[in-house]
Formats: sequence, C-alpha cells, structure tokens
Amino acid sequence: MKYESQSIAKLYFIAAIGLFVGQILFGVILGLQYVIGDFLFPEIPFNVARMVHTNLLIVWLLFGFMGAAYFLVPEESERELYAPWLAKLMFWIFLVAGALTILGYLLVPYATLAEITMNDLLPTMGREFLEQPTITKIGIVVVLLAFIFNIGMTILTGRKTVITLVLLTGLVGLAVFFLFSFYNPHNLVLDKYFWWFVVHLWVEGVWELIMASLLAYVLIKVTGVDREVIEKWLYIIIAMALISGIIGTGHHFFWIGAPDYWQWLGSVFSALEPIPFFMMTLFAFNVVNKRRRDHPNKAATLWALGTAVMAFLGAGVWGFLHTLAPVNFYTHGTQITAAHGHMAFYGAYVMVVLTIISYSMPIMRGREAANARAQVVEMWSFWLMTVSMVFITLFLTGAGILQVYLQRYSEDPMSFMATQEKVEIFYWMREGAGLIFLIGLILYIISFFVKGEDVKMLGSSVSIEETS
Amino acid sequence: MKSVKTDELQIKRASDAALASLLNLTILPVISFIALLLIHRKTQADTIDHYHAVLGVKINVIAAVVLFLVSALMILLGGFDSPWTWVYVISYFTIVHTIFIVFALWALVRAWSGDRLWS
Repeated sequence: MKYESQSIAKLYFIAAIGLFVGQILFGVILGLQYVIGDFLFPEIPFNVARMVHTNLLIVWLLFGFMGAAYFLVPEESERELYAPWLAKLMFWIFLVAGALTILGYLLVPYATLAEITMNDLLPTMGREFLEQPTITKIGIVVVLLAFIFNIGMTILTGRKTVITLVLLTGLVGLAVFFLFSFYNPHNLVLDKYFWWFVVHLWVEGVWELIMASLLAYVLIKVTGVDREVIEKWLYIIIAMALISGIIGTGHHFFWIGAPDYWQWLGSVFSALEPIPFFMMTLFAFNVVNKRRRDHPNKAATLWALGTAVMAFLGAGVWGFLHTLAPVNFYTHGTQITAAHGHMAFYGAYVMVVLTIISYSMPIMRGREAANARAQVVEMWSFWLMTVSMVFITLFLTGAGILQVYLQRYSEDPMSFMATQEKVEIFYWMREGAGLIFLIGLILYIISFFVKGEDVKMLGSSVSIEETS
Repeated sequence: MKSVKTDELQIKRASDAALASLLNLTILPVISFIALLLIHRKTQADTIDHYHAVLGVKINVIAAVVLFLVSALMILLGGFDSPWTWVYVISYFTIVHTIFIVFALWALVRAWSGDRLWS
C-alpha cells in the first residue's frame, strides 16, 4: 500500500460486507414470506422486511463506494487523504445512524418512527427506497458532504486523473440528486417525478460513473494496460451513460399520469441505455485480452470481468426487455421489474464493490494478492452467487411473464392475489436460488480467513508497493 | 514489410468479420450476415481473417437454429395460447441470445488482437 490513509477503506469494506449479509438474510426471509405469508409475522412483517432488504442494499453500497474512493483516490492523487480523521469520524456516524434506522424499522411501527423522528416538520418518509426518517436523511447529507469535501480536496490538491475526475463527478451527482428526496409534493405524479430524480438518476446515471471509474482503476492495476487506452474508453462509456440515462428517466413516467410524449422519449432513450453496458463489456474483455502483466490476484480479475458481463445482462438486456412503452404497458410493476432490479443491482453495483474489495483487501493486509487457496474459495463464491443470481432473475422473469399473461393480457384477467397463487412455484425456486446465493456469500466471507502460501507476480520482482 | 501489411489487412478483415457477426446478432440482422459472407469470400484458408469469418458464420448459423428453431418448437409443442409457452420462450430466448452476444463480443476482441478464440 502506497499511502497509509488508504487503510481507512478497510473499515468501510468490513461494514459493507456485514450489512450485505444482513441484506441477504432479509432477502431470504422475504422470499419465504412470498410463499408462507405469515412467516415471522407479526415480528417482521413483509413490508418491514422489504424495507430493510432494500435500505440495507443502498447503505452497504454507499459504504462500498466510500471505501473504494478512500482506497483509490490517495493512490491516484499521489498524496495522503486530505483528512483521514474526518473519514474515520464519518464512518462511525454513518454506521451508527444506519444501524439505528434499521433498528427503528424493526422495533417500532413505521408511523411511530415517523412521529418520534419528527417527520411532520419536514415530511420525507414513506417512499420506496427513501423510507429513512428525515433526520437520517439529513445525516446522510452531512456524511456525504464531509466525504466529498475530503475526497474532493485530496483530488484537487493532488494529481488529477480521468479516473478520479469521473469518480468525483459521480459522487457529487450522488449527493446532489439525493437532495430531491427532501421535496415531497402532494401531487402524486410530481411526487413520482422527484422520487425518480433520486432513484433513477442514481442507478442509471451517476452511479454508472462511479462504477466505470472503479472498474477502470482495477483493470489498470490487474492488466497493466496503458492508462491512456483505458481513459479513452472511460470517456465514451460515461458519455453514453449520461446521454441515454438522463432522458431515459422517462421510462418511469409511463402510465402514471405524465404527458404522452414521455412514452416516446422514454422508449427511445432507454433503448440506448444498454449501449454503455455493452461497451463496458467490450472494454473489460479488450483490456484483459491485451493485458501486459499476469497479476496474481486472479479473483479480482474474475470479479472485474463478471461485473462487466452481469451489468450488461442485468441492467442492459433485462432493462431493455421491458423498457419500450408498448411492452411496459403490460409489464409495468410486475415481477419482471423485480427480475431486472435483482440482476442489475447485483451485476452493476454489488459486483463492482466486490471487485475493488477483492483487489484492495489483500493489499491492505500487506500482500499482493490473497493466497491461492483463499482465491479458489473466493472464486467458488463468485460462481455460486453469480449463477444463483442468474437463476433468481430467470425465476422472477418466469413469474413476471405468467403474471402479465394471467393478470393483464388474458381476456378473462385474474386478480392480483389469485395470480400470485399461480406463480408460487417460481417463488419457491427463487427461494432455493436465494439460499445458494447465501451459501456463496458465506464462502466469500470464509475466503478472507483461509490460510495458505502467498502468491507473487509471475516472472517479476515487482513489490507490493509498486503494483498497488 | 509486405508480410506486416498482409498481417494488418488480415487483422482488419478478421475484425470486420467479427463485427459483422456481432451486428447480425444485435441491431443489423440479415444485412450484416450478407456482409459477413462477402468478407468470407475474400479470405484464404489458414489465415486469421478466414478463421474469424468462418467462426462468425458458425456462431450466427448456430444462433439462428438454437434461437428460432427451438423457440418455434416450444410454441408448436406448448401451444400459442398457453401462458407457459411464453414463460419458456421469452426467458429462453433472452438468456440464450445474450450468451451468443457475449460470445461474439469476445470473438471481436480476439479478432482485434489478431488472435484465435482460444490460444
């Protein structure tokens, strides 16, 4: 490790993995509640489990992004972090606030939580993914501002690279778009607009910038391909992500009371949205094919390639599957959306965070790469999680197609709940795949503790400092 | 000097063939396949461009059979009006089509560097 302050990332990554485990445990509980409706009721009602599952995802990914930035930026900027103490302080504030919020969801009825956190002073609660009490949202803003100040000052006073500038743009965008969550208009259509300005412009906008920069960084490190080559790809990818993604927000405005022109704008621009993911796959394949070093961290390379492919599959292909207005007329809000959501989040964001953890953790623990046995276990976890996620997606897609047919397409449409009974088999299979995902995650954690002989860069005397 | 130019020409032609194969699988079907066949005609045996042109033709013919024939069989056997038919056809078509696209992407990258698929 070149700079001591990079080690702060370790704190963030450990918290991220811990929260990831929580997210998956609640996912497994939720999956079971789809088929056994009163499972763990009234202790953990379905709506609470769902809220915990999605909120934990967002929080642990934020921990992951922050950890990634704290590891990557000092090295790219060729200087220590501007204020390491601030990064540590914000870590604890974010962790405590996050834990209290999740405990609040689990221990207190949501309406009571709104009351005791004084939501009525500035009402922001009650919207999917943004259920956090207003006070937590203010906390998130404070943490994000401190984080961006710290990262921004490190970048601006050090060496500036395309990777750090793209990353900073993505992080600033993340903070700015979150501010829309504080505006909660009474008009439901307007409310949805501003809600999507947070959710969509995060995951189909600025988060793609963060993802692309993290992927580019890891690929430079593990392949040794010229920075200039990777930077050119990065420019094109982020340009395409923004060109398609910003107006592509329109695909969320179908059938909610927004003007008709959104059907055209949303369809055309979101049909372009697979392009940046397609290019990311091409980019990752290309640089790995042209690699100039045989980096001993095979697991990190596997995660990087997997990120590109799975993001294309989940965000690109499964997004396109239901994004055109005439198709979305039938599929809007069905299990097809859930299928897309699962694979897109896993492929694009979960995997990119695991990629940088896989690359940086061994370095922060004083070695070039994890030992061979640990890497084998880690690669097993990669395949178990990835293949099971493909199956989760396929089962949810099957459920969604059947749901559309029975509930919306058929001449004699069934009610929502009657349809849910008909698609039960898919929910059982999804639960099975979810359990395999959990086993993969447990293996992933075990891989950090597997002992073995250190591996070194083949045919090279490059030290850890030089390669990191 | 001449062999360097020949190599460059072959790599360019191999890249064109791989690109035509990818386009046929994605946004420009049929026309790209015709282009691929035309590129194939210009190549000579045991060269990298010939290898990628043949590979492209094989990928696309296999994809056509695996995607259209199997989907047609599913519809024929499952019945057009059965919801289960569409569960299988749409899921199958989407995932298998994507696998072919990712495969063609890897072929394109290998063609760019003048390599065979696996070496």
